[in-house]
Amino acid sequence: MSVAIQASKQGVARFRAKLLAAMMLIVATLAALGLYLAQRRIMADAQQDLQQNFQAELSSLHKLEELRHAALAERCAKLASKPRIHAALEDNALDLLYPSAKDELRDLMEGEEPPPEQAAQSLHAKFYRFLDGAGAVMTPPNPKNIGELDPKAEAQLALEKLPETQQIGYIQENAAVADGIVDEVIAVPIFSTDTGDIISALVIGFKPFELEGKGASTGMKSGIWVNGRLHLSSLPKSAQPPLNDKIADALTKSDRMQDNFLVNIEGAPQLLFYTRLNPASLFPPAYEICVYPIAHSMAQLHRLRWQIGGAGALLLLGGLVASNFVAARLSAPVEKLAVESERDRAQRKRAEAALASTSEELERSARYSADASHQLKTPVTILRAGLEALLTREDFNPEVYHELSVLLHQTHRLTGVIDDLLLLSRIDAGHLQIESEPINLSQLVEEWLDDLGALPDSLDVKIEKKFPAELYVAGEKRYISLIVQNLLENSRKYNRSGGRIRVAGRKNTDKIVLKIGNTGCPITRDAQEHIFERFHRSSGGTAVSGHGLGLNLARELAKFKGGDLRLVGSDNDWTEFEVCFRVAQQAPSRTAEIV
Amino acid sequence: MDLRGIVSFNAIFALLPILAFAEASVEGRVELPKSHSAPVMAKRYEIVTIGGALATQPPLAVVYLDGSFPKPKSPSMKQIVQKDLAFLPSLLPVRVGTRVEFPSLDDTYHNIFSYSPAKRFDLGRYRPDERPIPSEVFDAPGLVVLRCDIHEHMRGLILVLSTPFFAVTDADGRFRLRGLPEGRYMLRAWIDSRTTREKPVLLKRGETLHIDFS
Repeated sequence: MSVAIQASKQGVARFRAKLLAAMMLIVATLAALGLYLAQRRIMADAQQDLQQNFQAELSSLHKLEELRHAALAERCAKLASKPRIHAALEDNALDLLYPSAKDELRDLMEGEEPPPEQAAQSLHAKFYRFLDGAGAVMTPPNPKNIGELDPKAEAQLALEKLPETQQIGYIQENAAVADGIVDEVIAVPIFSTDTGDIISALVIGFKPFELEGKGASTGMKSGIWVNGRLHLSSLPKSAQPPLNDKIADALTKSDRMQDNFLVNIEGAPQLLFYTRLNPASLFPPAYEICVYPIAHSMAQLHRLRWQIGGAGALLLLGGLVASNFVAARLSAPVEKLAVESERDRAQRKRAEAALASTSEELERSARYSADASHQLKTPVTILRAGLEALLTREDFNPEVYHELSVLLHQTHRLTGVIDDLLLLSRIDAGHLQIESEPINLSQLVEEWLDDLGALPDSLDVKIEKKFPAELYVAGEKRYISLIVQNLLENSRKYNRSGGRIRVAGRKNTDKIVLKIGNTGCPITRDAQEHIFERFHRSSGGTAVSGHGLGLNLARELAKFKGGDLRLVGSDNDWTEFEVCFRVAQQAPSRTAEIV
Repeated sequence: MDLRGIVSFNAIFALLPILAFAEASVEGRVELPKSHSAPVMAKRYEIVTIGGALATQPPLAVVYLDGSFPKPKSPSMKQIVQKDLAFLPSLLPVRVGTRVEFPSLDDTYHNIFSYSPAKRFDLGRYRPDERPIPSEVFDAPGLVVLRCDIHEHMRGLILVLSTPFFAVTDADGRFRLRGLPEGRYMLRAWIDSRTTREKPVLLKRGETLHIDFS
């Protein structure tokens, strides 16, 4: 018992542990998923913020640059439309081109070089050149006046054809030197005022607009990438070659006008942003390169990640506690159920054991009585046969005959007892097989009443009958007959002289009730409780023949097929029994009745 | 002074040699390129470029007798005025050695210059009241494109010829040259900066030759 409960408790504990584990798994999964999504979202937001800040910063600078470009372009276009320049080009006076331009573009070239901090904003040109019809540079007679350039730099001004629109380009001066200068050049087409054709182009070189210093507050550095080389003077020299390679790699892989990626410059993470400075230009592509230190942002992100991790751990802890609590709550009814079911199982086992032993005892006793009956029957038969043989002899005294008759009667009685015992034992052992057929109870009762009337006794009993002619019950005729016989015999046996017997039958919904009452000394209240017990006999009627098995047998038989037998009442000179039978489902066919 | 006045003035000027030679005449018609602009009452001739060639619009032609003639005794003087930011006349044929004055009738600065191979000059900026009137001697034959450094759209043409015998056609292309010397010559019709038609002529004393350029 205690072992079983122990086992059950262990089972419940296991269940509880499993429940907890499952809940923890769900909580942990959900928490992990939530954290992952949250972190991804936050990281993405942070990245986006960073980019937005950076782009905003950059775009404000670019606006300045665009304004400058627009101003330059307007200026250049104006210069290019100077009549003397047109005259030189259109009237075949190329020798006058540069001299004329010297006068016309004087204000562009002359004047003091602006201080470096204003150089970017000013429109002070460093040099200019004209391109001929094929896009080649027209060599100036005296470069001094129009800005000197080394031959390699000058060659970079040439275009494969004359441009139809303004072109922006970047060239390197002193390319051989590591610290070469980058110039921004604007090429504007010169259209013939006469024909409208492009007859030349004016290429003007400026100091490039430097973003450097503009984004100093954020530590942003910017430079120019042209002809496969990065010009970012504020970057440490050692960091330039690797960065150079990275940019070259990125630019060859992607043909996007602008993009960004993360780089590591001397151990510091930086966001590198590049954008094409001269999209769709006839000049070689040049890119503006900006590096933006993101160490601060990264640190922030790192902190954020830790915070999220901490929050996640707390959440998990909370989840653990909550799961534990919930698991306990959930497993409580299961635990109770387990204990109860264990108790129920023990009880059931006990009941089953008791039932088995009872049934065994019953079986044994039934078998015993059956054996006894058989063993008894044989000697009684022999005894009766002997007695009958003796009675046929004529040489005895009349007293002897009387004694023999009495003995013979006793053998008959003994046979009846043995028969009843046999039947009872068969019922007890469950060996009795009863056929179920429709029996006309009314007819049966009538027959037995006839037999009763033919009995030779002194009692003058009046019989009252009150039942319909046909009452069909389900059962086997001889057993139903036995019940009826028993009750009718009792009603006569325990009657008084001048008394009466009343037999009433009726049909209920699913039962047929037969009531048999008789006058006579009533059964005492104490005896009433025992009349259905075996070998019980009414104390008041010892003179009456019987062996105390009849009522018990009748009841057992009645009950056997779903019916019942009971004492309705016994007082004031009236004792009445009631027996119930099952209604036959259908009346027998004519032929069956004949048979 | 409108163009017709100039033409008649030129005609008178062209008659001068008749006194010297008093000989042959040529008249006829040059088929002018079709004008794209509708004719107006007060015609304003301007220099335009059609297919890369400079010409007047509406079209006019200069017909001249090519050859070598004795130099004039005294240099002649002509005028191209600047009025309403345009050269007037817009096309002026002159004989080599002619001085052309460029008076301004506009109330603004002008800066007449030319980068043409036939004559490079630059008069510099001057106001209408500039005296003496800025002028230039054209001493080499050829076409001179006049520009203004201040007003880039202004264009004028001076056709410097080595002959004293030339005439500007009327708007229909008709011309007449009188007092031409007898002999074999080449009669040319300048139509635009790229187109000059020519026809050989045999001039005889007292005869009027009819030549059409088509």
